[in-house]
Amino acid sequence: MLVLVCLLGLSLIVQPAAAGSMRVVATTSDLASLAQAVTGDLAQVETIIPPAADPEAFEPRPSDLAKLKDASAVIRVGLGYDHWLDKLLSMHGDAAVNRGGAGYVDASVGIPLLEVKGSSVDPANRDGHAHGLANPHYWLDPANAGIITGAIAEAGIRVAPQATAKIIANRDGFLSRLKADLAEWEQLLVAHRAARLIAYHNTWPYFARHFRLNIVDVIEIKEGVAPSPARLAKLAATIREQKIRVIVHEPFEPEEASQLLARRTGAVVVKLAPSVGSVPAASDYLALFGYNVGTLARALSAASN
Amino acid sequence: MFEDVLAFAALPLAAAIVFTGIHTWFGLQVLRRNVVFADLALAQVSALGATMAVVAGHAVQSAAGYAYTLIFTAVGALLLTASRGLARSVRQEAFIGVLYVVATAATVLVVDRSPQGAEHVKKMLVGGILSVTGDELVKFIILYSIIGVIHWLLRRPLLAAAGHADTPMDVGKIAFWDLVFYLSFGVVVTSSVATAGVLLVFCFLIVPALVGSLFSSHIGVALVIGWIAGAVASAAGIFGSFLLDAPTGAVTVVTFAAVLVVAGGIRAFITAPAAERGRNRQRGLHVGGLVLCLVLGLSGAWVIIAPAGDHPILAMIETATGIGPDRFMTARERADYLEAAAIERRHKGEIDRLYDRERQSRWQGDELTPDDIRRIGSMQQTLTEMGRGERFVMDYLRTRGRERERWYVGLPLAAIGFVAAATIARRARRAR
Repeated sequence: MLVLVCLLGLSLIVQPAAAGSMRVVATTSDLASLAQAVTGDLAQVETIIPPAADPEAFEPRPSDLAKLKDASAVIRVGLGYDHWLDKLLSMHGDAAVNRGGAGYVDASVGIPLLEVKGSSVDPANRDGHAHGLANPHYWLDPANAGIITGAIAEAGIRVAPQATAKIIANRDGFLSRLKADLAEWEQLLVAHRAARLIAYHNTWPYFARHFRLNIVDVIEIKEGVAPSPARLAKLAATIREQKIRVIVHEPFEPEEASQLLARRTGAVVVKLAPSVGSVPAASDYLALFGYNVGTLARALSAASN
Repeated sequence: MFEDVLAFAALPLAAAIVFTGIHTWFGLQVLRRNVVFADLALAQVSALGATMAVVAGHAVQSAAGYAYTLIFTAVGALLLTASRGLARSVRQEAFIGVLYVVATAATVLVVDRSPQGAEHVKKMLVGGILSVTGDELVKFIILYSIIGVIHWLLRRPLLAAAGHADTPMDVGKIAFWDLVFYLSFGVVVTSSVATAGVLLVFCFLIVPALVGSLFSSHIGVALVIGWIAGAVASAAGIFGSFLLDAPTGAVTVVTFAAVLVVAGGIRAFITAPAAERGRNRQRGLHVGGLVLCLVLGLSGAWVIIAPAGDHPILAMIETATGIGPDRFMTARERADYLEAAAIERRHKGEIDRLYDRERQSRWQGDELTPDDIRRIGSMQQTLTEMGRGERFVMDYLRTRGRERERWYVGLPLAAIGFVAAATIARRARRAR
């Protein structure tokens, strides 16, 4: 009996104290930031992929499986970008956060997708993403935040119906802050409409579409394979012919090829953050765009002078 | 464009030749010491040092970064020196292998703590010789010249220590000269691996030295032959990577291997003593013919067993002769096959057209609405699936063709291949 009481007491200590609080797990820091904005203090949000790492080269570890234990909701990018999550979820076994469960959110549902290739793995695909159906970097169009937060809010309401009003209010608050900031960002980049850029990796089509930029070409065609010298020579010719002044680069990608092109052509390498936390200044979803838009606008203005 | 090609090729080629220059010398000594993988082990230990420096918050090129790397390299050199003493009953290579895997695993564990770890590990392996700068090249030339001169002055004791057990040299002296060798080797390998990567440095080290040793046991002659072979392989690799539009490091590794094969051929069939040469030529013809006939025979047998499988050799023969599975289809099947191919091409064209239209609209003209984008996406997806359907039809019809083709092409191919192989084998046995 005494043992039983002790065990009970122990289990009370081990259990999280706040019974009403949810645990939400997102595969990327971007989705985690949006989930935090929607759930506010209702949930504790965790991220699986470390923010400064290359998400397309990520491999989960045992501690990530532990994160999924007792999670009330799981949010993923989908489109094959975080394909390893399927295996983790099937090992985890909780139906509520598996595909079709109340707490399962595939944030790509309903997004107007770019560069759609097919519905299953295509070994011959050419855009540098090893998996999937379309370009997966859709969170980089701020207009998609409405759709993503909508899906997160719905799941939150399914999991914790008593918090419906709070979740809706949180989301509305976030979207109105986003709207105000968005006007400012668009203003910053309006002068650079149709500006020509080279990107290291094909990360930016959604960003480019929203802010009306022209990404002429990408350096790395196959994920993880260094560009060949013939390709670099062709890119150098393109940069000169089209007077491209800026090469967009992600902080975790190898820098040699971009720097080499910059040295040969006089273009500048600008590091933009593809995800929340890729650079310290991109501390949340709004700051991510604040940083990217500000950095790019400064670089383009400096280049045009 | 041409100017760019030259500019992109000149520095890497110069770097490759500089690397070949110093590594061939070290490679010849490594071959004499029978420690072929010592460079991998040393490079990995120094990479562990560089990684520790990064995790501790120093840049690799900073003074602290160099200090970390050099200290680890020195420890690696000490361990390698000690391994010769340990290796009494087993080969030293075993200890070197252990040192290599432990250093690699330790690097993985250390980088696991830093977010860009995977990238770092990959870079150590593949390197980036393409992006070497002029300043770096000057540094390499100065460093390698100093080490080269020191080694030239100390060549007698170094080679004696490297050499054979019957050299009268006491254990303490051998250990001292081993340490000198491994320390200087560590400095060279550390600097070259950071630029060219482990794979390519291994080639610079071993392949020219092997080629040189093939033709001469005199170290000076072997060195010169190795230099020439290394320079040819580097030039072929770097210009080959332009022509093939493929990553430089990987292509260069392949051209080094090709140079080794060609050198082996020259040694066996052309420059060997007359009697040996005749024997080699005959043996080469027998082995080559046997392999070729067996491959043809097996390929013919494979199409008989599994006409629906992959047939790379048969496909090559089909392309060369123009006799493909479509020859063995009925008129109806052939018409369907061609139609499916045409439709698939049309779908592909349409997908590309939609893609271009969407891309242009990102920055030109009126912005497409989200619904326009969704419509384009769903059309692209549908067309991709339909294209897949056409490919399925083509695969099905090709299999039908192959099912008939196997009796007309596969059976004779198998028969000729196996009979010819048996004949060659009997002749080879008689010749012996």
